[in-house]
Amino acid sequence: MTSRQAGRGISTIAAQRRKTGGKRGGARQAVRRRNEALRPQERRRLLQLVACSGIFVLLVAAKLLLPAKMAQFNERLSGALRQNMDVKAVFSAVGRAITGEDNAGGAMEDVYQAVFHPEKGETMETAALEELPLDESAALDDLREYRMKSLTADQQTAEGEADAKTEQTEVSTLAYVLYSDKNLPEDVSLEQAILGFDYCTPVCGTLTSNFGYREHPVEGEERFHYGVDLAADTGTAISCFADGTVTAVGESSSYGRYCIVTHEGGYSTLYAHCSRVTASSGTAVKEGQKIAEVGESGMATGPHLHFELHRDGTYLNPIYYVSAV
Amino acid sequence: MSPRSERSVRVSGGFCLLVLWFAVVNGWELLAVVLGAAAIHELGHYLVLRSLGAGIKGLRLSVFGAVLETDSTRMSYLGELAAVLAGPAANLLCVLLLAPMGGRWTVFLGANLVLCMFNLLPVRPLDGGKALGLLVSWAAGPAAGEWAVRWIGASAASALAAGICYVMWRSGGSLWLLPAAGGLLAAAGLECSGKTAFL
Repeated sequence: MTSRQAGRGISTIAAQRRKTGGKRGGARQAVRRRNEALRPQERRRLLQLVACSGIFVLLVAAKLLLPAKMAQFNERLSGALRQNMDVKAVFSAVGRAITGEDNAGGAMEDVYQAVFHPEKGETMETAALEELPLDESAALDDLREYRMKSLTADQQTAEGEADAKTEQTEVSTLAYVLYSDKNLPEDVSLEQAILGFDYCTPVCGTLTSNFGYREHPVEGEERFHYGVDLAADTGTAISCFADGTVTAVGESSSYGRYCIVTHEGGYSTLYAHCSRVTASSGTAVKEGQKIAEVGESGMATGPHLHFELHRDGTYLNPIYYVSAV
Repeated sequence: MSPRSERSVRVSGGFCLLVLWFAVVNGWELLAVVLGAAAIHELGHYLVLRSLGAGIKGLRLSVFGAVLETDSTRMSYLGELAAVLAGPAANLLCVLLLAPMGGRWTVFLGANLVLCMFNLLPVRPLDGGKALGLLVSWAAGPAAGEWAVRWIGASAASALAAGICYVMWRSGGSLWLLPAAGGLLAAAGLECSGKTAFL
């Protein structure tokens, strides 16, 4: 600050003091009168200010003192906030229930889906995550037991035939555990169903990942892949698999932008990782009609369509119905 | 009374923010649908109030929704009941009229029905709570009406809030209903503490 500026500062302060000094008593009275007139409103404003600054100070203190906890909390909160409520889907579900296009139970379920998004993608993946290690560990236990038993059996080959017989039955049950489809997640069926309606391949692309167990490209662990991946350039039109109604349009951290189309006979198809979904929820769509564009939203390593086929909540292998390059 | 204060529309900043946020998240189309349903609702109230000759002071739009400020001192219980129920009834009428059309009206139908049902919840700032109070007051006197609406409102609001929280917790997801649960709890608290000046 230069001395000239400082001088002006002092002089203006002095001038103000001189101005107020003249009628000090009157000014104070006026202030008090205004105070009395505005008291409730002023008190409210003050309370609001105190509350806001309190929250601010508290949050800053929490962030400074417990950075790790805060970051964790932040992540959870933003995860929860990212799950948007599909208001339009709620309205259209209720509307369909009135017009008789849908029964009340189905509408209730749609509303629940739209409001809470029990995130098809997320629950499925967590379900697979929770189930798999269990199954694997059970299978491993069996294997370990089998190895132990065979070791002891090797050592005690001299012992009676009766033991060997029980050993054989052990082995056969173990074979059943390891090679049956018991290791499939519960909601997966490997059958090739006859759909009973016309259908087409949604995207003409390269098959980059098949239906079944695979090493997850991002998380790196073995997981069940509930659909097929068709790689194509971003912006490639995704055509609808068959005639139906768009029942969900949404966004999730794993699926990215996705939409679900319900077809007749309890079938529905899911199109995930889209760059954008052009069809809106509740509209009727025709086979081959453009409903979305290929992208890499959500958990994806490149532009592709993740395509799933469901029948009454069971996952079917879509490979029987799509032709890949 | 000056004509300016006769019919004033007050729009709070919170309402503008809410509308803007809704438009950004859900699109202008859906915003128009919701505002349309709300307009039908208020129109229902307005028409019945006008036909009963009640004074309408103005319309207040806030974060909590649209409220018609009325001068209901000279109205009978049944008249006021009719005015209160007219909003949800207008929505319901709209639903019944448009139901055969189906098709692209389904979203609008749904919005109307949701608004109607929501407003009929027996919790006080909502039409359902007011209607309940008026009905009981008419049948058994104002003290009984106040008592009934207080306890029914408080218990219904707490039960609903608990239900919402439970479902939110179970589904482990969307927090969008948290404001609704908070509002219901606040309404229940106000009913229990006997502060109904906010109505």
